[in-house]
Amino acid sequence: MGRYVARRLGQMVIVLIGATMVLFACLFVLPGDPVGSIAGSDKARDPAVVAELKARYGLDKSLPEQYVNYVAKVATGDLGEDFVQRREVSDILAPKLQNTAKLALLAIALVTVFGMGVGIIAALYRYSILDMATTFFTTMAVGFPTFVIGMLLMKYFAVELQWFPQLGGDKLEGMVLPAVTLAVTDIAFVARLTRGTMLEVLRADYVKTAVAKGLPRRRVLFKHVLRNSSIPVVTYLGISFGALLGGALITEAIFNWDGVGLALVQAIQQQNNPIVIGVVTYSVAIFVVLSLIVDLLYAALDPRIRLS
Amino acid sequence: MSELATSPAIGDENPVSSASAPAEPRPKQLSQWGEIRHRFVQNKLAVVGLFIIAALFLTAAFGEMLAPFDPAAQDLENTLASPNGTHWMGTDALGRDMFSRLIAGTRVAMFVGLASIFFAVLIGVALGAIAGYFAGFADTLVMRIADVFLAFPLMIGAVVIILVTGRGITPVIISLAIFSWATVSRLLRSSILSVREMDYVHAAKALGASGWRIVRTHILPNSMTAVLVYATFNVGTTIVGVAALSFLGAGVPVDVPEWGNMLAAGQGFIGVNDYLWVFPSLFVVVTVLGFAFVGDGLRDALDPKLR
Amino acid sequence: MRGAKSAKWVVGAVVVALAATACGGGDGDSKDKGSAANGGVFRMGSTEPDTIDPGRAHESTGILLANALFTGLYSNTPDGLAEPALAESATSDEGCTSWTFKVKPDTKFSNGEAVDAEAFARGWARAAHKAAASDVAYHFAGIKGYEQLQDGSAKTFSGVTTPDPTTIKVDLSKADCEFVLKTAHNAYSPVPKVAKVGEEDKAFGEAPVGNGPFKMDGSWEHNKAINLVRNDDYSLQKASLEKVQVTLLNDKTAQQLEYDGFQAGTFDYAHIPTPMLKTAEAKYKPQNKWFAKDTNGMNFVLPIGDNGPTNNKDARLAISYAIDRQAIAKGVFQGYQTPSTTIVPPAFPKAYQKDLCVSCVKQDVAKAKEHAEKGGLKPGTEIKFSFNTGAGHEEWVQAIAKQLEDVLGVKVKLDGKDFPGMLKEQQGNGATGIYRFAWGADYPTPENFLFPLLHSTSMNKDAEGNVVGDNRVRYNNPEFDKLIDTARSTKDEAARLTMYKQAEKMAMEDMALIPTFNRSQFRLMATDKFNGLDDINFNEDPILEKISIKK
Repeated sequence: MGRYVARRLGQMVIVLIGATMVLFACLFVLPGDPVGSIAGSDKARDPAVVAELKARYGLDKSLPEQYVNYVAKVATGDLGEDFVQRREVSDILAPKLQNTAKLALLAIALVTVFGMGVGIIAALYRYSILDMATTFFTTMAVGFPTFVIGMLLMKYFAVELQWFPQLGGDKLEGMVLPAVTLAVTDIAFVARLTRGTMLEVLRADYVKTAVAKGLPRRRVLFKHVLRNSSIPVVTYLGISFGALLGGALITEAIFNWDGVGLALVQAIQQQNNPIVIGVVTYSVAIFVVLSLIVDLLYAALDPRIRLS
Repeated sequence: MSELATSPAIGDENPVSSASAPAEPRPKQLSQWGEIRHRFVQNKLAVVGLFIIAALFLTAAFGEMLAPFDPAAQDLENTLASPNGTHWMGTDALGRDMFSRLIAGTRVAMFVGLASIFFAVLIGVALGAIAGYFAGFADTLVMRIADVFLAFPLMIGAVVIILVTGRGITPVIISLAIFSWATVSRLLRSSILSVREMDYVHAAKALGASGWRIVRTHILPNSMTAVLVYATFNVGTTIVGVAALSFLGAGVPVDVPEWGNMLAAGQGFIGVNDYLWVFPSLFVVVTVLGFAFVGDGLRDALDPKLR
Repeated sequence: MRGAKSAKWVVGAVVVALAATACGGGDGDSKDKGSAANGGVFRMGSTEPDTIDPGRAHESTGILLANALFTGLYSNTPDGLAEPALAESATSDEGCTSWTFKVKPDTKFSNGEAVDAEAFARGWARAAHKAAASDVAYHFAGIKGYEQLQDGSAKTFSGVTTPDPTTIKVDLSKADCEFVLKTAHNAYSPVPKVAKVGEEDKAFGEAPVGNGPFKMDGSWEHNKAINLVRNDDYSLQKASLEKVQVTLLNDKTAQQLEYDGFQAGTFDYAHIPTPMLKTAEAKYKPQNKWFAKDTNGMNFVLPIGDNGPTNNKDARLAISYAIDRQAIAKGVFQGYQTPSTTIVPPAFPKAYQKDLCVSCVKQDVAKAKEHAEKGGLKPGTEIKFSFNTGAGHEEWVQAIAKQLEDVLGVKVKLDGKDFPGMLKEQQGNGATGIYRFAWGADYPTPENFLFPLLHSTSMNKDAEGNVVGDNRVRYNNPEFDKLIDTARSTKDEAARLTMYKQAEKMAMEDMALIPTFNRSQFRLMATDKFNGLDDINFNEDPILEKISIKK
């Protein structure tokens, strides 16, 4: 177990190094000078100022040197300074990470409650109207990409009914629409997954045995069926949560949610590279860590699985 | 999963879920096609999906004949016109006919969607086959590279690539392919791993067949089911990816009639001129559903046990 | 244009009556303490600024705050007249190379420190020093000793001396009879001793201590808010508002949020997203809350003048004639932009020469073709048209591209990229094609368009031949240069103005820049709750010091 985790962590470092190298190479060959223009205007910066900033941020060095310097700094917990506001990248990103995390938590809560809830009900009342409605909903949800869901929700619940504000802010009312936007597709998948695994488990011998043994229905349901059918669902939720924490570019852009996804889109437009690198490194790290956690959890839930 | 509609059932699997359903590759009887076709046709949604796809292909091929107007023709005297008898889906901010542009967009979507899936599968199959069959160092190397690409959120990776290369159809195809091959590789690798241990492979080996021959004649055909289903299902996802890139301002050039471009242009008009984003949305949704239905049907028909 | 943060180190308008000579020893001062019977909180939204340090502020929110927190020697009125603020007089020698400013005595920073000549000299040197790496440092380029500050070898301007606490003497390296106008820019603000000179000074920028009508109420809360309170010790006309709350918004949808906030009654002032202009006007104009103004910015199509298809006057004329500005203004902008026919904006009425660009007045297909023929723009020629994406330019550039294709038979290749990428390409040696471009003035004089955009020295080519200055059209006309140089050293305002007009005409005949649309601004203002919301200043911001709550 310990060795397994250690090896996975080692692999994670390799993945992170690989990902940041790919990113560095991309940013380096990006046409344009990240400190060449005055942000937001059509004016070129004074060449003396450009030279000073290049020296200050080490942009006059070669790509490998820049990369090594960056990694060395990151290792000490220093993400550097951004090019536009000249503030610590960690200071800029901290509140944005919080915002993204808030949204991710609400979204994953919605997915867990509604996805699993609907899936369980559909499985228990198979072939009922409810089950058919679930099948229909989950089939259709695949076709609705995030931007369409976001725009539809905005149109009906913010513009027409005015139940929620059109754009985020950081109040709870503002969180509802973007969180639902993020959750809809996953709710459908989780419902489908839950239903499928439940049906499989319900047919399993040990459940039949438990029922035959005369265990109360409720006990069978919770102790045997739910526990065993939740394994793939938990896996999916974990990975999905990782993706959500990494920032949702489109949803944040639609609802002006001040999270890492929106920050990334803007930083890319301004070639504010320290922010781009910070956000991407963070998303990749979150993804890798969560996959590890999910695998560990998986082993904990299913004793048959051996980690090696 | 991520923001792109993806299918957990087949699409973005993860290392463990594939282990969870130990996909016992079933021995195939060769005279199975009739049965498969039968099962597929029985699935009503799959047939609907097939019709949608057929319609999309026809639209892509013969768009010029269907479109009432030149999709690039501007009429600045008649901008932002609501849907009416002449312009069935209204006109955009430059007075261009929305319906004609949506039809023209079908060709872009189909071409880019299919092309990027094609390249993703090409790279994915090549690398996945190497990893799955040769195992050892090759396997570790390929899988770690795949990890790097899997760990990049698709949109982020694609946006960065397009910024480097500039907007355009080819960059979009390439960037989407580069960030989706890893899934294909993983799928293929895991199914090869199980096929490799099948008796008929051992038998072939014992009979002295070369490694390459075994891969080509035995392993690949029997491992491709998952890849085929994945590919079909994900044409839709890729088309959404194309639209999403344009939506974020990093897709095809703005003057190309493409659904994502149209959605992006319509976004500011929510509550004012809703037809500007509703119709492009409709095209995207129907297309994705078409491919999803067929993908689902294909999976069920090829492998009833997966259901 | 439409982006929240577009071209906005903008100031000013109009050539000024007082320009060179002293202007009746500062009378904007009336110290009637009685007008303090006031109060009220003014709430507005604005984008998160890059910096609010007066020595560095360069975009809309930064300029708004720097001007609320600091008062310099001069300031600009909403109609683009520079008027003395803390200056009692400004005089220059005959050759306009040496200037003397008298500073109003006994005024204070909000920490009680005196605002004397030394405070100005400190502020200027601080902004121009290498360590500040300031985007607005170039405003000091004409002062002697600028190079030494820029390379870090000096901490003071050799050209700025303060013989006594109320006198500032400025020596310029080149004649500039309009130097006084520059002192209205926020970069020329005085700073107290806590502000560090010659080293990077982040702390001051988080909560600047100033001498303006307002002072900071707490520090800058990033991405949340900056709050201001009235400065009761202000030395000029005191503000009436008790507080100003500036909610900081994200660039991308700031305008939408401002508009929503105004409708919900949480903001008293708002920008309007372009698609909403029609609805907003219909609703708020009858309530007298709608405000529209053409400001001192201009939009252009920038042709590369020394290379590629636009390397000759006829080709550029052909392009200009082929554009139907009226149709785009009406169709694409829904009537919310006006076609422009000059390089110098109408916001400078004394210098404005309406319809100077003959080819801009009306689309003329025949003439366009005729000039295209002469200029070698054959049908099929490829012209690259670059613009920056995500800033609201997507539609109108497509309209222009299509008109060029339809009229001239050329092939226009639209190339949208991020701004740094576009700029780099435009600067590159060997750049070709046409570019989207906008320019706003820093000072209220036509010189501020003509010199940086069109004077040959403004190309400022580097060793590889890249144009790192602002004359990216590569306009190189010795006669034009001479006119501008002479004008800059001409003390008589009327004579100077005539030369600028001549120069503009010359550039227009060469079609050096292709004018497209004037910069039009629209606002919603809560006139039911406040007085003084009848105009915006040159920075296109509400005039905070003039606003008072209605009783």
